[in-house]
Amino acid sequence: MRAMVFFGSLLLSAMAAAATPDDSDLDALNVADKAPTATEQASDWHSLVEGAFGDTAQRYGLPSYQTERLSVDLALDKTLAPSWRLIFADRLDWNWEGEDPTEYKINTLKELYLSWQIAPSEIVDFGRINTRYGVATGYNPTDYFRDDAIRSTVSVDPNSLRTNRLGSVMLRTQILWNGGGLTAIASPKLDNQASNDAFSVDLGATNNTDRWLLAVSQQLSDSLNPQFLLFGEAGKSPQIGIDLTRLIGDATVAYVEWSGGQGASLYSEALGAPSREVFRNRLATGVTYSTSNKISLTFEAEYDGAAVDSANWTALGQGPLPVYEQYRDFAQQVQDLPTRKSLFFYGSWQDAMVTHLDLSALMRQDLIDQSRLSWMEARYHWDHTDIALQWQRYDGKPWSDYGVIPQRTTWQTVVTYFF
Amino acid sequence: MLNVKLNAKLKISIAWILLLCSGAVLATPGAQEILAASDAVRNPDYSFGMTNTLVEYRSGKQTDTSTLAIYSKAEEADGQFRSLIRYVAPARDASKLILYNGKDMWFYDPSSKASIRLSPQQRLLGQASNGDVVTVNLAKDYQATSALEEDAQDGERQTKHCYKLEMSAKTPDATYHHIEMWIEAANNHPVKARFYTESGKLLKTAYYRHYQQQLGAERPTETVIIDGLDPNWVTVMRYSDWIKREVPDTWLQRDYLPRFKPE
Repeated sequence: MRAMVFFGSLLLSAMAAAATPDDSDLDALNVADKAPTATEQASDWHSLVEGAFGDTAQRYGLPSYQTERLSVDLALDKTLAPSWRLIFADRLDWNWEGEDPTEYKINTLKELYLSWQIAPSEIVDFGRINTRYGVATGYNPTDYFRDDAIRSTVSVDPNSLRTNRLGSVMLRTQILWNGGGLTAIASPKLDNQASNDAFSVDLGATNNTDRWLLAVSQQLSDSLNPQFLLFGEAGKSPQIGIDLTRLIGDATVAYVEWSGGQGASLYSEALGAPSREVFRNRLATGVTYSTSNKISLTFEAEYDGAAVDSANWTALGQGPLPVYEQYRDFAQQVQDLPTRKSLFFYGSWQDAMVTHLDLSALMRQDLIDQSRLSWMEARYHWDHTDIALQWQRYDGKPWSDYGVIPQRTTWQTVVTYFF
Repeated sequence: MLNVKLNAKLKISIAWILLLCSGAVLATPGAQEILAASDAVRNPDYSFGMTNTLVEYRSGKQTDTSTLAIYSKAEEADGQFRSLIRYVAPARDASKLILYNGKDMWFYDPSSKASIRLSPQQRLLGQASNGDVVTVNLAKDYQATSALEEDAQDGERQTKHCYKLEMSAKTPDATYHHIEMWIEAANNHPVKARFYTESGKLLKTAYYRHYQQQLGAERPTETVIIDGLDPNWVTVMRYSDWIKREVPDTWLQRDYLPRFKPE
C-alpha cells in the first residue's frame, strides 16, 4: 500500500510539474504575444540604390586615386495575364575616378523578355535573357552565354559578376517532367560589334554570332542531380558540358563542372591567329562545406585547356606589350582563365558573432605564375539598408596574372538601400 | 492524526484513480497513431500554399523578420512533404527561392541566376532550421515509443489534457535525435514539443498555438520556437493566406526554380 501511495504522489508531482511551463517559456511566450500580425505582400518590383567610395593604392610608381560610384538597379517581374509574365532588369553605374574626377556612366540592360507558360510543364521565353548554367563558384566553363556579358565591373565577387551583366537575346523553350527537364535555346546574330556607348543596349556584345544550346537534367537520386549540355556557335565545333553535384554527408556538397570539345586556343582566338583545332577541356571542381553556425567554405580547382601553358605564358610576358594586353583583355571579356590552372577559395559567415554581420572572403591563386587576388568584405544589414567595407589586393610579379594589374590595394565602402 | 489518516486515504484513492487512468492509456490509440493524427492537424493531406512570417527576438527585442511564400506537396511514395519557398521580405532577399525535396535542396538567386546546391546542414533562415520552416510529417521520420496522459499548459497558458509522446528518429536523416511532444487528447492538437540532440541536450522548445479554422480543420496558425541554450532567443512563425492548390510534381525540381512565382 505504501508503494501505491508513493507512486500516486509521484504521478501527482509529475502532473503538477507538467502543468506549469518553465518561467523562461512563459517569458518567451509573453514576448511572442507582441509579434506584429501584419503580413508583407509580394511586390513585382525589386530595386536598389547603391553608393560606393573607395581609395586605390597603385604600384609601379603610379599615384593612388579615389573612386566614387552611384548605382541604380531596377528589376520587375510582372504577371501581365494568366500564364504571361514580363521580366525586366536594368542597372546604371555612374562613376567618378581620379584626383581630377573623370565621370563616366554605363547602363546595363540585363533582361527584358516575355515568358509564356503554355502548360504547367511547358514554357516559352523570348527576349533578352540572362541565362546561366554551371554549378561551380569561381569559374563556370558551362556558362556558355558569358562572353562579353559584363559592361561594368563593380566587384570581383563572382556573385556580383553574374548579377551585373547583359543577357543574350534568345528564344528559350523548356519542357519539364518529374525530376528532370529539357531546355532548348536559339540565340541569333543581331549585330557585329560591342558598343562603348553609355546607354547602348549592346546587342553587339551578346548577339554577335548565332548560338544554340540544349540542356537536359535528371535527378538520379536524392544526392545525385546531373545536367548535360550541348552548345553550338556559328563557325565553331559543338561543346559538350556536364554539371554534376553530389551530397556527401549532411554538410558537404561536391561538384564538377566540365566542358569539352574541338576548339582553337584562347591565344589564337584573341589575336585572330591560325590555330590547330584540338579537343580542349575546361573544368572546375570543388567542395562546399557548411557548419551549423552558418559558415560556408568552398575550395575549387580550375583548369582551362584552351589557355596558354606555363612556357607560353612566360613568353607572352616577355613579348610585345600589345600582344600581351590583347590576350589578357580577350580572356577577361570571355570570362576564361588566362593561364591553365587556378585555385579558388570562397568563405562566408552569416551572423558572424554579431547578428546581421556577414563576413565573406575570396582568394584566387594562379598556379602557373603564383600570383594572387584576395578580397574580403564585412557587411552589416538592417531591414532595408546594407553597409559594407571591402578590401581587395592583387599580388604577384610583373607580367604575372595579377601582378601586372597596377591597382595593388583597394578599400571601398558600399552603402546599399533596397526597396 | 485523523487528518493525516484522511490525507493518506485520499492519496491512496488518487493513486488508484491515477493508476486506473494510466491503465486507460493502454486502451487509447497507439502512440504512432496519435502522432500521425497530430501531423494531420498541422498539415492538410493535399498540396497547399501559405505564407510564413518569421519574427525573431533576442532578449525581448525584435531583431529580424522575414516573410516566405510556401507551396507544399506530399510525396506519393513516402508521404513526406516537398516544398518550394520564395522570399517575400526582406527587400534584399525578395524573390530568392529554396527547394526542399528530401536531401535534394537548392537555393536560387534570380539576380545572379545562380542555382546552388545546399547541404542539409546549411541554414538560411536564422534560428529556424530547415525542418521548422518546411512542412514536415513527423510520423514519417520519427517513431513514437510511448504516450502517457499528462496535463500541460499550452502557448496561451491554458491547461490542456494531453498525451505526452516520446519520439525517436527512425532514420539518421531526421533533423532531431529525439522529441518530446504534448498532443491534446481530445482533438490531437499539438500543444508543445521539445527537441533534443543525441546527447540529450535541449535544442529548442516549440509551442503550437492560435488554433483557427484553416483548410477544413482547426490548425495552429503560430509556432513559437524557444532556443534550448538561450531562452531569450525566440522565433515566432505565423502562418497566413492558406490556400489549397495544385502543385505539379514537375515544379519540385531545380529546373523549375527560375519559373516559380506564387500567386
